Amino acid sequence: MARHSRRENLTMRLGVRNVTKAFANIRALDGVSMEFAPGEIHALMGENGAGKSTLVKIITGVQRPDAGELSLDGRPAAFASPRDALAAGIGAVHQERNLIPLFSVGENIMLERLPTKSGVIDYAAIDRRAREALDLLDLGIDTRTQVARLSVAQMQLVEIAKALSLNARVLLLDEPTASITDHEAAALFAVLNRLKGEGVAIVFVSHKLDEVMAISDRVTVLRDGRLAASGEPISQVTRSRLVSLMIGREERRAEIARGRAPGETVLELAGVATSYGHANVNLVLRRFEILGLYGLVGAGRTELAKAVIGLGEITGGRLLVNGRPTVIHNPHEALTRRRIGYVSEDRKGEGLILSHPVGTNVAMTIWRRIASVLRLVSPSAERRAVKPFVDRLAIKATSLSQLVAALSGGNQQKVSIAKWLAAETHILIVDEPTVGIDIKTKVELHELIGGLSRQGVAVLLISSDMAEMIALADRIVVMHDFGVVGEIENDRRYETMSKAIMEKIHGADAPQPIGHDGLASP
Amino acid sequence: MTAVRRAIGGDWAGLLAVLVLGGVAAAFLSPSFLTEFNIYVMLRSASVAVLVAFSQMIMLAVGQMNLSVGALGGLVAVLFGGMLERLGLPLIIAIPLALLVGVAGGLINGVLTSRTGVNGFIVTLATGSAFTGINLGLTESKPFHGVPREFVALGDSHWDFIPALLWPPLIVAPLLGVFLYHLKAGRWLLAVGGNPSAAQLSGVSADSMVILAHAISGGLSGLAAILAVAQLGAAQPETGAGWLLVSFAGPIIGGASLAGGSVSITGAFLAVLVIALIENVLVLANVDPYWVQFMLGALIMLTVGINRWRAIRAART
Repeated sequence: MARHSRRENLTMRLGVRNVTKAFANIRALDGVSMEFAPGEIHALMGENGAGKSTLVKIITGVQRPDAGELSLDGRPAAFASPRDALAAGIGAVHQERNLIPLFSVGENIMLERLPTKSGVIDYAAIDRRAREALDLLDLGIDTRTQVARLSVAQMQLVEIAKALSLNARVLLLDEPTASITDHEAAALFAVLNRLKGEGVAIVFVSHKLDEVMAISDRVTVLRDGRLAASGEPISQVTRSRLVSLMIGREERRAEIARGRAPGETVLELAGVATSYGHANVNLVLRRFEILGLYGLVGAGRTELAKAVIGLGEITGGRLLVNGRPTVIHNPHEALTRRRIGYVSEDRKGEGLILSHPVGTNVAMTIWRRIASVLRLVSPSAERRAVKPFVDRLAIKATSLSQLVAALSGGNQQKVSIAKWLAAETHILIVDEPTVGIDIKTKVELHELIGGLSRQGVAVLLISSDMAEMIALADRIVVMHDFGVVGEIENDRRYETMSKAIMEKIHGADAPQPIGHDGLASP
Repeated sequence: MTAVRRAIGGDWAGLLAVLVLGGVAAAFLSPSFLTEFNIYVMLRSASVAVLVAFSQMIMLAVGQMNLSVGALGGLVAVLFGGMLERLGLPLIIAIPLALLVGVAGGLINGVLTSRTGVNGFIVTLATGSAFTGINLGLTESKPFHGVPREFVALGDSHWDFIPALLWPPLIVAPLLGVFLYHLKAGRWLLAVGGNPSAAQLSGVSADSMVILAHAISGGLSGLAAILAVAQLGAAQPETGAGWLLVSFAGPIIGGASLAGGSVSITGAFLAVLVIALIENVLVLANVDPYWVQFMLGALIMLTVGINRWRAIRAART
């Protein structure tokens, strides 16, 4: 209540000064400073992994900066928890969905300030006040509906309504329009403009250029955790300049020349739909070729890979391996019968067994092959089988029995690739192979992947790193919203390729061209 | 009326049907089933079990488990017995003190879990062993028999086939309903169980809710222990030794989600009655007690299996 009345005339200026945040030696944010003024919509842009969400988490008290500080109206502020940030008048819609699925819409909106009447929860008041919040966005959702029964778009709208109802003086929205329709987005923007008029400082994180150009007053661009542009008035920035600010110029790239003409088709997806929600995905992967799969986080690339190796279900269309329609039930079958390997983007979670030695990790895929008559795997057989690959990839480990946990990120990644080389896969899906890996090792990994394709392995490369994609891939399939929005022959010229790719992605957001619905129809 | 539906929670009609049909079948199978004494004995043992089930249910609500439910109950039972026999404390003082011991034990579990960040499963496994150790160290495995006669009489008293001991769970159940569905703390507790990170982002302290759940869990297992003393007429050190199974079986058969955030008070209550009925029927049928244990295990597997099957079917439609 106190906050409610306090806000009437009070506004707040939020400052970020020299904030640095690192995760396991990777700097997500590196000394960034910016200021969010009352009565302004300030867009925060950047590619995947540029540090936007980390910044949002620091401002909302979810994470604490390693160095630097926040300030409110010029006074230093530190938030130990989201509760502190909320109390200071900072509301947020986070990128991940944050609702209690079994609670009603009303309770979710009012969760931290459940109204009570003599100590007992006043459900009528919850419904009333939640109704007001939903009405802000012109939403007809019943406040008593269980959140678990809502669509993803409705959930996102409920979260936005919740944030709006906080009467925050600083309001952060992290990709608020990712899964809602244009009509709903328009209602949101109308509310944001009204709040702006009331003096709220609004921070708007989005990758949708059109939205940013349309509603924001200023724009800050992050690239690799650093500022590429700080609070520039939107009227002075062109669309194409924004794109180049986000992408930047990459000097460091490995020269991977195209080896030889592509061979026969080994993997083909024809009109594939999956249990993850993909619709009508078409792509062709050939021997001696690296096929890139580019898209923003959440475009459904990793999920597509997982559907191929049998972790998800292919619910429509056809999957062809070596020209034959195939059903793959699980990763074991993918490896042993179809010779498909998958290097996970989540090295530590899915790619490796950190507490086991290098040798075991590499040999895991071939235990069956190297086992003796009694199905026993001897350490010496393991060593013999694994050694050539460890040498070939120049994995820096004191011995084969060193624990993988003790290796550097780059060497860990080499181990997770080595195990698929040992398994002699014909098709290798490599997911974000160089995330969080230093430049030197990155180049080594690029050369390794290029070398594999020259030797006849068909490589499907998933990467959010534009420079990497353009350096490595022969062709690039662009994904958006669990569908394919285009395919581009890679001419390896960074300027033109990056523009072409971004246009395909952002073009997909525009209402008329190939949208989700257009893709879903046969 | 949503308020009523909220208070009841979950779909327990199936359990009620099983209970009624099972009762009717038992009455036909054995003439001694529908005797006043048999029903009374059955309900009396269920009284303790319902509280034990509630003690675990509140932990499942917050998305955690408590393996020390029985050990803490045993400790409370002997300390309660000791207060009565050795210290000669009147019941009016000994009962609240014993309940406080239960709450304190729960607080220890809660604080250890939230402060150390060690998994609650391990924390309560360890504290459970410690509680049992204190229990056996103090009693040297000898029960306290010096329980006031009027308290033992209360444990035996009944109105027709309704034992007096059924009152505490009958009172606790609606109180838990009010707490979980009509008080802020209860809603937050369930919110943390349903999605801890979302609750935290909304400014709810997950740590406080875990500590609160443990404190309530400890208090309920203490109450169950006091009832057990009245039921047995003595404070037995081995009280609580067999509680673990029913503590999980009750809430889970009753419809609680192991993932947290969803429990059914009525469901857990009815599930304990169904378990008591099955035990009773098997005993009347002269089934070997070991097979009774087997049947309980099978029953849990069956219910959880059915729930899983229903969840998969619901997800497909």
